[in-house]
Amino acid sequence: MAVPKRKMSRASTRMRRAQWKATPPTLVKTVENGKTTYSLPHRAKVVEDSTGDPMYMEYKGRKVADV
Amino acid sequence: MPKPTKGPRLGGGPAHERLLLANLAAALFTHKSIKTTETKAKRLRPIAERLITFAKRGDIHARRRVLGVIGDKTVVHELFTQIAPLVAEREGGYTRITKLGFRKGDNASMVQMELVLEPVTAKAKRSTTSKNTTPTAAAAAPAEADTETADADVTDTDSTSTESTDTETTGAATAETPAAPAADDAPGAPADVDPTTDSDTTSADVDSTPEADTTK
Repeated sequence: MAVPKRKMSRASTRMRRAQWKATPPTLVKTVENGKTTYSLPHRAKVVEDSTGDPMYMEYKGRKVADV
Repeated sequence: MPKPTKGPRLGGGPAHERLLLANLAAALFTHKSIKTTETKAKRLRPIAERLITFAKRGDIHARRRVLGVIGDKTVVHELFTQIAPLVAEREGGYTRITKLGFRKGDNASMVQMELVLEPVTAKAKRSTTSKNTTPTAAAAAPAEADTETADADVTDTDSTSTESTDTETTGAATAETPAAPAADDAPGAPADVDPTTDSDTTSADVDSTPEADTTK
């Protein structure tokens, strides 16, 4: 089994770790009943009733799936 | 002709992928709507639509070619007798894929894949003849405008605006209907559930028609 010969330097360790970056997701803003919500584009949303229980998923005003 | 897929097969190999997609197609024709991953749905779409094209042809040769993919005769019979008449007027695009979210566990993008069994709407007429465009668009616009005015009234009561601005906001709402037809408003949801139930009733009606009509 191949093993490292030398201790990895602090600089190269940090250079490797610096390459991992989180990217912010692209969200769409919708204003619904005065509340501003951010959601992923082109994805069905969960429709909730008045008590907050999920009922079904809808996309473009059409019911597409059960939760 | 579906574009050949590049890269690794689904499942363990080519045979596994064939079986997997055939089973998915059978499940789609049985249940009309299935939940699967986005990758599988996109691979399934050309296969399922090709099978539906065979079903629309409707002769015994087409039926045997479909039976080469889907072994279940009951599913193939249902495809030829029930699904094919519903999509007889539709020129391709028999399936609809709607992205739902991400699966817990492997974060796979899940989709709802369904057959488009609704009657063909006015959008297809727009491409064929320009004369039919204006009546159908005018007929569709008031229907949308009614729902939008209903929404606008709800918002007006919230915003406590005067009566003179009410007419202006309704006019603006009707002007916005082509730009934003798919507002995720709660009032729009129950109105749109009805066409699906209508399509179910039409499918039940078509079931009673003999198969000889479908072969034409």
